[in-house]
Amino acid sequence: MVTQTQTTIPANEPQSEPTLTYQPNVDICDLGAEVLLVADIPGAHAAGIDVTFEDGVLALRAAVSPRELPGRAVRQEYGIGNYRRSFRLGDGFDASQISAHYKKGVLTIHVPRLAAVRPRKVEVKTA
Amino acid sequence: MSTFRPGFALPFEELRDEIDRVWTTLTAAPPVHGWGTRPAEGVFPAVAVRESDEAITVEAELPGLDADDVEITVAGDELLVKGSRPEICPVPHASGRAGNGDGEKQDRVMWHRRERGTGAFERRIALPVAVDASRVEARLVDGVLTVTCPKAAECQPHKVAVRSV
Repeated sequence: MVTQTQTTIPANEPQSEPTLTYQPNVDICDLGAEVLLVADIPGAHAAGIDVTFEDGVLALRAAVSPRELPGRAVRQEYGIGNYRRSFRLGDGFDASQISAHYKKGVLTIHVPRLAAVRPRKVEVKTA
Repeated sequence: MSTFRPGFALPFEELRDEIDRVWTTLTAAPPVHGWGTRPAEGVFPAVAVRESDEAITVEAELPGLDADDVEITVAGDELLVKGSRPEICPVPHASGRAGNGDGEKQDRVMWHRRERGTGAFERRIALPVAVDASRVEARLVDGVLTVTCPKAAECQPHKVAVRSV
């Protein structure tokens, strides 16, 4: 399986968004029976998270509300905006069984493989 | 960053390549930490500091942590944030096997991306002025830590009445 970041904007993507969009840091690990994707999206709300899987591409989008802090900026090491990132996972995944959980600013997505393509250990029998 | 490099043979082609590279960077997706000042490599968490007349507000992105996982210490004009971020993806054991959380054992874990740092962290943040440590408040919501540090009394703006004689 090859994962690949999609940097092009899909044709149906609105070209003007109200805020800046950032790519979240992710961990992706292949567990055999499933692929696990973990993304840091602090400040997002569960209701504003959109996960789609289409044509072998797993896409995540998350809306982040602006955070207003009082006073003048002394130091600003990160930007605040929506998150968007997508990966090409390829075929062989069960789209109907994909599950996503959001907790403490971390989005976890489980993408299970179809039973037919899961790695299976074959036991060797002795005669 | 040095513009000139050893083996600088075709200056205009090099310049064109450099402009292409910068242009590609600018027109690509924004960097993870945005366009602002990025912390040095390996510095965690990234912070934003704001100053008002009454308080210094420090915000830090700490996804994956509970309030109990973070320890905040304030002394004078320095804020110390320390804690440990747990691993979510199963890490293979010494035997090369790992569980996926539901009891099923996996023969191997193949990493395709590993961009999220985990483990212990500690960061000291210099505040612009001394703050009143006894009145510092912190809250952690959806992975965003906000620490409000009221300024020490002697550092707060004090209006001076002008008397006419």
